[in-house]
Amino acid sequence: MTNRVGIVEVAMTSGAETKDYFLDQVFKISKEVLDKSGITRDDVGTVISASSDVFHGGMSCANSYYWDAGAAFLKNGSRQDGESLFAFIYAVMRILTGNYDTALVLGVCKGSENPENDVLTHFFTDPFYQRQMGLNETIAAALQKREYMDRFGITEEQCAGVVVKNLKNALGNPYAHVKKKVDLDEVLASEVVMDPLKSMECAPKSEGIIAMVLAKEELAKKLTDKPVWFKGYGSSIDGFYLGDRDLLEGELPNAAKRAYDAAGIKDPRKEIDVAEVCEPYAFQEMLWCEDLGFCGRGEGGKLLESGATAADGDIPVNPSGGVLAMNPYVSRGLYRLAEGFLQIRGQAGERQLDKQVNTALAHSTHGFAGQCHAVAIIGS
Amino acid sequence: MKKDFYTVSNVIRLPHKYAAGPTFTRFYNGLEEGKIYGTSCPSCKKTFVPARSFCPGCCANLDEWVEVSQEGEVVSWTYTDREFFGMPGKPPVVLALIRLDGTDCDFLHLIGGIDQDDLEKVKSSIKRGTRVRARWNDEKKGHMLDIKCFEPVS
Amino acid sequence: MGRPVAIIGSGQTYHGRRFDVTYPELVKEAVDALFEKTGISPDDIEGVVSGTMPSMMEGVALTHFYFAEVLRSVGKPIMKTETCGSTGISLAFTGYYWVASGMADLVLVVGSEKMNEGDSQATMTTVVEPFYQRYFIAGAPGVFSMQCQEWSTRFGIPEEKVREAATRITIDHHNDAFDNPYAHIKKRLTPEEVNNARIITYPIRLWDVCPNSDGACAMIFASEEMVKKYGLKPAWVKGVGYSGEEYWFGDSEKAIWQCAIDAAKQAYNMAGITNPRKELDVAEVYNPFTYQEMLYYECFGFCDFGEACDLVLKGVFSREGELPCDPSGGTLCTNPIGATGLNRVAEAALQVTGQAGDHQIPGAKLSLAHAMGGVDQYNGVMILGSKK
Repeated sequence: MTNRVGIVEVAMTSGAETKDYFLDQVFKISKEVLDKSGITRDDVGTVISASSDVFHGGMSCANSYYWDAGAAFLKNGSRQDGESLFAFIYAVMRILTGNYDTALVLGVCKGSENPENDVLTHFFTDPFYQRQMGLNETIAAALQKREYMDRFGITEEQCAGVVVKNLKNALGNPYAHVKKKVDLDEVLASEVVMDPLKSMECAPKSEGIIAMVLAKEELAKKLTDKPVWFKGYGSSIDGFYLGDRDLLEGELPNAAKRAYDAAGIKDPRKEIDVAEVCEPYAFQEMLWCEDLGFCGRGEGGKLLESGATAADGDIPVNPSGGVLAMNPYVSRGLYRLAEGFLQIRGQAGERQLDKQVNTALAHSTHGFAGQCHAVAIIGS
Repeated sequence: MKKDFYTVSNVIRLPHKYAAGPTFTRFYNGLEEGKIYGTSCPSCKKTFVPARSFCPGCCANLDEWVEVSQEGEVVSWTYTDREFFGMPGKPPVVLALIRLDGTDCDFLHLIGGIDQDDLEKVKSSIKRGTRVRARWNDEKKGHMLDIKCFEPVS
Repeated sequence: MGRPVAIIGSGQTYHGRRFDVTYPELVKEAVDALFEKTGISPDDIEGVVSGTMPSMMEGVALTHFYFAEVLRSVGKPIMKTETCGSTGISLAFTGYYWVASGMADLVLVVGSEKMNEGDSQATMTTVVEPFYQRYFIAGAPGVFSMQCQEWSTRFGIPEEKVREAATRITIDHHNDAFDNPYAHIKKRLTPEEVNNARIITYPIRLWDVCPNSDGACAMIFASEEMVKKYGLKPAWVKGVGYSGEEYWFGDSEKAIWQCAIDAAKQAYNMAGITNPRKELDVAEVYNPFTYQEMLYYECFGFCDFGEACDLVLKGVFSREGELPCDPSGGTLCTNPIGATGLNRVAEAALQVTGQAGDHQIPGAKLSLAHAMGGVDQYNGVMILGSKK
């Protein structure tokens, strides 16, 4: 199949928690993206959403609730659980088969209606062993960070540096949840949550309802002067028990290789203009940068210190402020993609990078210490 | 209309009863006897703990049972003095990944037998590589916490 | 549309109260059976699709984490599809689109459920939102009883006739189940037993309702090239259709049920089917309730609206009839929800490849598989054929 798939438009809520009624929020964002794209609900071919019952205000069969609010009434659609980049790629697949000309992709997570994320991630565990030990995502991340420091000499200052960089970037992002200028000392002095993790190194719990219109090549060109094209995708999953895995040699290199191969990328550091990387815990940004091939193993800290991943560096990472500034668990993959889309289109406002952005990488992860990863590449 | 919109509170409790099957049952029986059991894979020769019914790597069925060592080395650890949902016990706690001698995966459990009142004291007694040994509760009921914790070997 | 795609093998577990195994062990049973039957190496699988009912029913959230090893997915691309009761058929669609799009040639699709570990009806009430309807919905049977009443009164079908037809359906299917080695409830029922069984939610009685089953189903979707490479009998995907309605129960009519009608129409159009009763050789209709099975016959165009009871009583849809429906015993005898829709697809594939054993419909070449989900909200239909 040689047909290309283009992203036509994006609409999204801010990450700040609100008392808005959930269905109103979903309806508003779906309508906004259709209006921006210049199409009506009748023109929508298929609707693929991402949500997770466990991150859905205690509602089961999550997509039942927002099906019609999300413009899917009497449409053919489906839903991916846990990861919104899965929904994106499923919509791409559906267009590539030729069955549909357009797709609406939704990512839905209303953080304000959920308990703390870790109450929910605790239920990723098996009931016989890991649950009895109280495991959750923050504990897994703390164990991973300790190994990262012990084995590769990553420092507390470097981890805190990620927070300072990303929250600075978030100041220019109207959709960000945490907007606060912080310095290294503040991060280092923040309260210990799960040693060695401190509170400011951990992402918040945020609202995040996001919609994207995709279209086949000819139609995308008709609908917008600036379509952004799907270039490549890869995902990979690691084993289940934390103790069976090497927490520093995970599955992200596999996922990235699949995406790079599909997009024809040989030197990611050179060929990617901006990367939006999912870092619910600050140190993970450095580890994932290594996995994505932006630097060698153990060099994530040096990469950060060199300024390469800053907004004015040669490989800017998380100009949006990343997940540390906004963390709607399930939707965060699509938010990464949306930032890449806006940067390529030159529509990122105050945080628009001071260079030509042709190729963007969006990464997302879910599960303990990055059990599952997904990477998407888009470009002009 | 009031400007401050309502929120509706709803606590959801759902009952579950999980089937442990023969492998976890036998592992729990071991805990009741003060023993830690693992299973070994005939094809990759790795030993896993807790005992598994299948090899995570080869997916082969495992039925070669071994009582594993109750001593091992700390691989990674974390500390908190906060209470969290599903916490095994009361804060403060130290959770660790422990490589029990002769096994090929890390065992997730609590660290004890050290002064946990402040983090600096914990840091001085637990490190990557610290050797620890299982300490058992007197009363055993076929639960992960029949092992009270792992304590540093002096 | 897209590349041709075929199902080249399936594996099912034995169903029942499976307290003999943990949940991953149950899933492993289906996946291992599939690889053993097909001789395909798990290493050759390029992508895995996993699905169950919602976390509240599983008692474990995002189960693809928990099943990573038994799905043979470690190091591989994965997707996690969930659409409530229609999850099974939505899983099949995901596998189909993955291969049809050209992004993979060999995809493993696995659905599973361990219903007996939780309280299925308690979890069902969490499908309903807490502002309005949660207080009124009496689990799944409450909703489907109302739908049944709406249907029978809409078309003026006498209560006795509906009862008689429903009784015929449940007796037939529980007999059929004896010929399906994987079925959960197998029972020789008498009309008296069925008619006098206790009321669950009026007019639905005990034998009108599916059981809670534990089970899993695994399947491989393959490109044409892979069909040739492995030389296994293919069940070609001829048509796919899915549609969903409003969230609120009560917003639209459920007797002339638009999303069921639309789902079938989409699939028929793609498959070029104009007269389903004539052209289809066998149908695996998702029938968690006897009454609903008849309603589907009408929505899928097997007969006119209001006509299903008469035709059931004439035997049109029984094993030897013109269009045999649910020769496997269907959902009515076996219902591991997250896998049920996929079981329907597996059975439809077995039929067109002549591998259905004792419940084979002789010479079946074109079959229909179906599943339903949500609070009477979703329907999905897949058409399979022995020829590309």
